[in-house]
Amino acid sequence: MSHAAVSVVSLLAFALLALAMDRHQQDLFGRELEPRRSRALRIGGWAALLASLTIAVDAQGWSLGLVAWCGHISLSAGVVILALVAWERRKAR
Amino acid sequence: MSRRPNDTKPAKARTAPQPRGIRQTMSDLHIWAGLLVGWILYAMFLTGTVSYFKDEISQWMRPELAHQAEVPDPALVAARIAGELQTVAAGSPQWSIGLPDARNNTASAFWRKPGVEGRRAFQSATFDPATGHKVAARDTGGGEFFYRFHFQFHYMPVLWARWLAGFCAMFMLVAIVSGVITHKKIFIDFFTFRWGKGQRSWLDAHNALSVFGLPFHAMITYTGLVTLMSLYMPWGEQAAFKTPAERQQLRAETSAFVQPGKPSGQAAALAPIEDMVRQAQARWGRDNINRVTITHPGDASARVSITRGDEGRASVSPQFLLFEGPTGRLLQAKDSVGPAAETRGVMYALHLGRFGDTVTRWLYFLVSLAGTAMVGTGLVLWTVKRRAKLPDPERPYFGFRLVERLNIAAIAGLSIAMAGMLWANRLLPLGLAQRAEWEVHAFFIVWGATLAWALLRPARRAWIELLWTGAAALALLPLLNALTTDRGLLASLRAGDWIFAGLELTLLALAALHVALAIRTARHKPKLRPQRQAAAARRPAAPPPPDEPVGEPALQEAAR
Repeated sequence: MSHAAVSVVSLLAFALLALAMDRHQQDLFGRELEPRRSRALRIGGWAALLASLTIAVDAQGWSLGLVAWCGHISLSAGVVILALVAWERRKAR
Repeated sequence: MSRRPNDTKPAKARTAPQPRGIRQTMSDLHIWAGLLVGWILYAMFLTGTVSYFKDEISQWMRPELAHQAEVPDPALVAARIAGELQTVAAGSPQWSIGLPDARNNTASAFWRKPGVEGRRAFQSATFDPATGHKVAARDTGGGEFFYRFHFQFHYMPVLWARWLAGFCAMFMLVAIVSGVITHKKIFIDFFTFRWGKGQRSWLDAHNALSVFGLPFHAMITYTGLVTLMSLYMPWGEQAAFKTPAERQQLRAETSAFVQPGKPSGQAAALAPIEDMVRQAQARWGRDNINRVTITHPGDASARVSITRGDEGRASVSPQFLLFEGPTGRLLQAKDSVGPAAETRGVMYALHLGRFGDTVTRWLYFLVSLAGTAMVGTGLVLWTVKRRAKLPDPERPYFGFRLVERLNIAAIAGLSIAMAGMLWANRLLPLGLAQRAEWEVHAFFIVWGATLAWALLRPARRAWIELLWTGAAALALLPLLNALTTDRGLLASLRAGDWIFAGLELTLLALAALHVALAIRTARHKPKLRPQRQAAAARRPAAPPPPDEPVGEPALQEAAR
């Protein structure tokens, strides 16, 4: 169960971090967000990433939790980039 | 992530007058270190990736052995196999029994032949945990081949092969470090993928695959070297541990495997193995027993060592209980090693990933697959980058052709070869002499055939044809299994056999991946350079015939 939680929270983390970036704001909203909002998104993203680490370590201990967390964040970052690509492709059509 | 592209650029341009910065140098290093060993690395990565499911592959390759719905009690199995070894390995100074677990439906054992020393002294067999007899299954190496190939290849002396693997791993480490330095905008481009932009897209894909999996890629390369460190760097050990006794002590810190001493010559029956395993189970959990090793069974000096399983700890450092054979008295409980040995144990375990639960194992598999794709995209990128600059795209220079063709066989060909071995597992006659070896020969024969194909066909066609062949070879395996055994995909799903079903569903998913790649390659139109594009726009070429590579005639036309 903890795997699902780590996965979802780290997915959220990378989504927020992507949204905090000018380039992806352009792609998704057609304009850049105010710096204040970008900063809030970035802080939220890092906080969520930290939260996912906490969940993983809490459930499985440092050794196994850290290993699983590394796998989850790699996968989540991959899912976010694929989602962005899919979004771009849909828009282009 | 806080840097923005426009903040730093102008300042940098002003303060960087030297023509070749560190990034350019590192980029060259990255490109050439990567290319030189890229093909071997790709094979090491892919066969290593599937080795995370080595036990499942082995089960699939022995369809005669029924699905294990529940793990049999290791204590009973150990006693049963030990009883069988009394006759199978009579007079042997040492038996070692590997017990079945959730991923493994057989017990295995190896033993020393009496009176023989050295490497050839060992014999091994696979046993049915329920009966204790040798298994009546086809002769196959199982998933073990991929695992072995991944660091010692085949058809060559093991030591040379391991040195070669270490050499390649070292280059991989160089490529990782130089790649990170070369990557200018690792944070700004973190989520960037520009679709349909030719070289740019390949670079984005290569970057994303590398950066997202970076913790894994760096870890797996470094720990891979650590697993064979006493081969690559033996001098520290040799200087510090001179006497046989000292060496024995060192070995005890890294391995639970004990060398048998001298027998006493007095006969004494072994105490019940079951009771000893029960003590170990009380300590580590019912199914968390890895091996039971018995030295000098039947002698008064007999010792029984029981080692802990991989579950629940990210370390392979030895943890074992040592019993006096005839009395069953606990002599020693080893549950920790020194810090240096433990560092090694953790790194080794991180590489193998055997401690993980199912989800963690899948994460290992997927991120390792991304690593394979990282090496693959890097290899392809080398040709994509140079193709646009070829003076005559019809006749590339030798080096370009070599890389292009080797890429096809190393990437598209390897999938077919690996699937080919599974085909051979089902199709080779059961009575064939040295059948297990022939499965491996089949792997190399198929791989060689794909290389020949890659050399003989136009490069683009070869890519498409071999990717489709790979897709078919993978997708038809479940069908072949359904035809040759009574454990087809539907039957497995119905029986809740997730080892067979999971493996075959994964084969189908990998087949779909090959289809997607084949379609993308077939649709791909190489981008023209701007001035050529302009020339082509002035004189529009007729659409190329469907069988011809789409981009090349257009390029030629434009270049004229």
